[in-house]
Amino acid sequence: MICAITFIFLFVFIRLFYVQVIWGKDLQIKALDQWTRNVPVLAKRGEIVDRNGVVLATSKKTYTIFVRPRAVTKLDETVAVLSEIFNLNEQELKQKITTTKVSEIKIAKHVGKEYIDKLSNYSLSGVYFAEDVTRYYPYDSLLAQVLGYTSADGNGISGLEYYYNTQLSGTNGEILYEADLTGVDIKNKAPSYVPAVNGLNLKLTIDYEVQQILEAITDEAMSEYTPKSASAIVINPQSGEVLGMAMKPSLNLNNVPLGDLETLNKLGRITLVADCYEPGSTFKVLTASANVNELLKGNKNAYSLEHVYSSSRYRYVEGSKIKCWSTHEKGKHANETLADALNNSCNPIFVDIALALGKDNFYSYLNSFGYGKVTGIDLPGEAQGMLLPKSAVLNADLARISFGQAIAVTPIQLVTATASAINGGKLITPYLVKEVYSSGGTLSLKTETKQTGTTVSAQTSKIISSYLEGVVSNGSGKQAYIEGYKVGGKTGTAQKYQNGVISQGKYVMSFIGFFPADNPEYLCLVIVDEPVGGTYGSTVAAPLCKKVFESIIKVKGL
Amino acid sequence: MKLLNQSNRRGDLSILISVVAVSIFGLVMVYSASYYQAEITYGDKFFYFKKQLIGLVLGVISMIITAKIDYKAVNKLKYVLIIISIVLLALVLTPLGVENYGARRWLKVGPITIQPSEIAKFAFAVFCAGYFSKDPTRTKRFLGILPVLLIGGVLCILIMLEPNMSITVCVGALMLVMLFAGGVKKRYLFMIVIPVLIALPLLIILEPYRLKRLMAFINPWASPKGEGYQLLQSLYALGSGGLFGVGIFNSRQKLRFLPFAESDFILSVIGEEWGFIGTLLLFLVLFFIVIRGFKIALKCSNFFGFLLGIGIVTVFAVQVLVNALVVTGSIPPTGLPLPLISSGNTSLIVFMSAFGLLYSISKDGENV
Repeated sequence: MICAITFIFLFVFIRLFYVQVIWGKDLQIKALDQWTRNVPVLAKRGEIVDRNGVVLATSKKTYTIFVRPRAVTKLDETVAVLSEIFNLNEQELKQKITTTKVSEIKIAKHVGKEYIDKLSNYSLSGVYFAEDVTRYYPYDSLLAQVLGYTSADGNGISGLEYYYNTQLSGTNGEILYEADLTGVDIKNKAPSYVPAVNGLNLKLTIDYEVQQILEAITDEAMSEYTPKSASAIVINPQSGEVLGMAMKPSLNLNNVPLGDLETLNKLGRITLVADCYEPGSTFKVLTASANVNELLKGNKNAYSLEHVYSSSRYRYVEGSKIKCWSTHEKGKHANETLADALNNSCNPIFVDIALALGKDNFYSYLNSFGYGKVTGIDLPGEAQGMLLPKSAVLNADLARISFGQAIAVTPIQLVTATASAINGGKLITPYLVKEVYSSGGTLSLKTETKQTGTTVSAQTSKIISSYLEGVVSNGSGKQAYIEGYKVGGKTGTAQKYQNGVISQGKYVMSFIGFFPADNPEYLCLVIVDEPVGGTYGSTVAAPLCKKVFESIIKVKGL
Repeated sequence: MKLLNQSNRRGDLSILISVVAVSIFGLVMVYSASYYQAEITYGDKFFYFKKQLIGLVLGVISMIITAKIDYKAVNKLKYVLIIISIVLLALVLTPLGVENYGARRWLKVGPITIQPSEIAKFAFAVFCAGYFSKDPTRTKRFLGILPVLLIGGVLCILIMLEPNMSITVCVGALMLVMLFAGGVKKRYLFMIVIPVLIALPLLIILEPYRLKRLMAFINPWASPKGEGYQLLQSLYALGSGGLFGVGIFNSRQKLRFLPFAESDFILSVIGEEWGFIGTLLLFLVLFFIVIRGFKIALKCSNFFGFLLGIGIVTVFAVQVLVNALVVTGSIPPTGLPLPLISSGNTSLIVFMSAFGLLYSISKDGENV
């Protein structure tokens, strides 16, 4: 019997050695987890500023208040004070604190320092606060869709906030408190800190002053024409820097209806990048450019610049009758050269060009101008547009594409393509973020202009620019003319289709303009969708573009 | 004064010194394991310490008394003790009993709370020793051992009704050892052991909580917040202690993570604060007490003294080992305090008195 007992003692020794020494480390790691209560230290989300440092999005330090029910000693006072300060139902709060099974109840989130001050007038055990961060946009709806917004827990979920979330977020730290089973802190135990790494800041290419102008102009368009939407974008056609982007209707970033997905999708979409439309006559810039470029390359099919096109209103292509928007009566659109055709925005001339160049050649221009693929702008949700596959294109389709029908493009594609036509033939990638830098000033990213291809020769570009300047000085773009400044541009009026048929009286009016025409620094596209009153891009969108340029000239002192 | 006529003889003092040393260590560890919980529950971090200190003082006093008297005098009390035990155990089941954690194990008389099953174990040892020593041939006849079986059975049933399976097993084990030590024929022993081996799984299956505990023992991680919780917390404590421990008073597991840290699971806290070195040393001392105790019993010339010594040491050894096996997750969890160390007055006083008797028995051995 003594042997048996000795044996069991021996077993106990071995078992203790195994549990404590061999298995010990493993068990300790598992135990460590339950010994500490960690309070996260939120990393400060980076700021977003315009090209001159105007703050467009920032983060404010706010507080989350919570109660640990088991640590509450004065229940009635605690309930009374909390419901008073945070405007809560006293009964409900009391019930919650007394019946909950969780160790912590959140009382309020994103509250300012003033609430903490009020709380500190009372000494309530069991009431705690932790820092949190609230995203704040000083200009409410300025650049709203592009800036985007964050979720309740501070993650970017749209726009730049989403696209650059990794850079903006930083890394949260934490404070580890040693606590007992119920979460009560252990006295005389200093908590350990893991500091947070703050997020990086974004410096945009956006110019706050230009953005303000665009916001005002689109607001004006909305009130004047009560359209479905109005949008405007200004880029530097040489570098691809986006100077401003405004889309209406818009939303207030400081009051985003996070739960209402339908509204969010309607107001928060970056339509200039994510939506397609039929560009209409603004697209003729591409057709004209293609002809001039082929001519200069010596292509026999291209028309000479002096060529006088047929004055007929109609073209018959594969049995389908294509007509000009103008009646061609009383000598209108008669004996036009290419420059005249651009001035008058005469459809049949561009049909002639496209058919003369042929499908293969014309499609190579569509591709080199970037249609059918994304521009690569640093925003989420960019669409590719809709380009009929070359194999499926009939001449009747090609004829319509030549003047911007039977093709859907994103506004940013049209802007990028047009920029290349007037900047010497460089297809550049538009971009919004110039620099990514830390609060300490260390630069972690600097964006350079990126050229992805060449569309036309420098000489072609010069000719097209001067033609488009002519459109504004004595053509359909006259309403964008500014005395003493070289402004170029092209109008666009596209019919809208509904369920596959042309919808009467519904148009997308647009104007794409640039200045100074001989060395463009500003390229602006204005789009008004379904304006009420006003039938042409020339009467609706061109004056808006003119106002944009006038304001820029005034603000920049040009 | 026949009662005191042996008091001038020297006994085995080493066993008394070891017992007192272990008990004082137990007192310190009861404080260490309980002060945090006591502060919260009773607003007095010395709550358990004070109770244990009273138990220790009373235990030492009664140990001195039992060490001084002739152990043979206890023989005369065998019927009285066993009747008192049975009455007290029965009273526990009446409204006088105090229920805690779903079991009725305590009697509250004024400010004093006692646990009759702690007394019953030793009363039964005294009874067996007295009964067999009166006529050693009783062990050779089935009718001779029947009274022991009957009284053991009654005690087991009463304790089982509380319920307290671990003490029941303890009493059962004690009975077997007493029969064995008394020289009972092997076939009688098998007649007892086999039904017990059949009954044990039945008792486990009948009570759902026992079955759950058994499952939790097999894989505590399957229910870390439920049945497996206690065992996991015990293992966390032991493991956190490592080789050298986190230092006295520094246990983290006693901060309400480990249930019954001051009683059934005090060994976990000891392991956490003193490490493997500490638990090893403690168990070497406990092992010493057991071996020394058996030697004293074997050396005793008196058959009653021999049987009583075996009984006392058996109760102690079984409880020490079962507790250690539970705490280290070697057998399914069952609530059994670590003798002399876990908080609990009745247990401490009774064990110290019993070791006093053992000392008295040791005085009889040197004469042989």
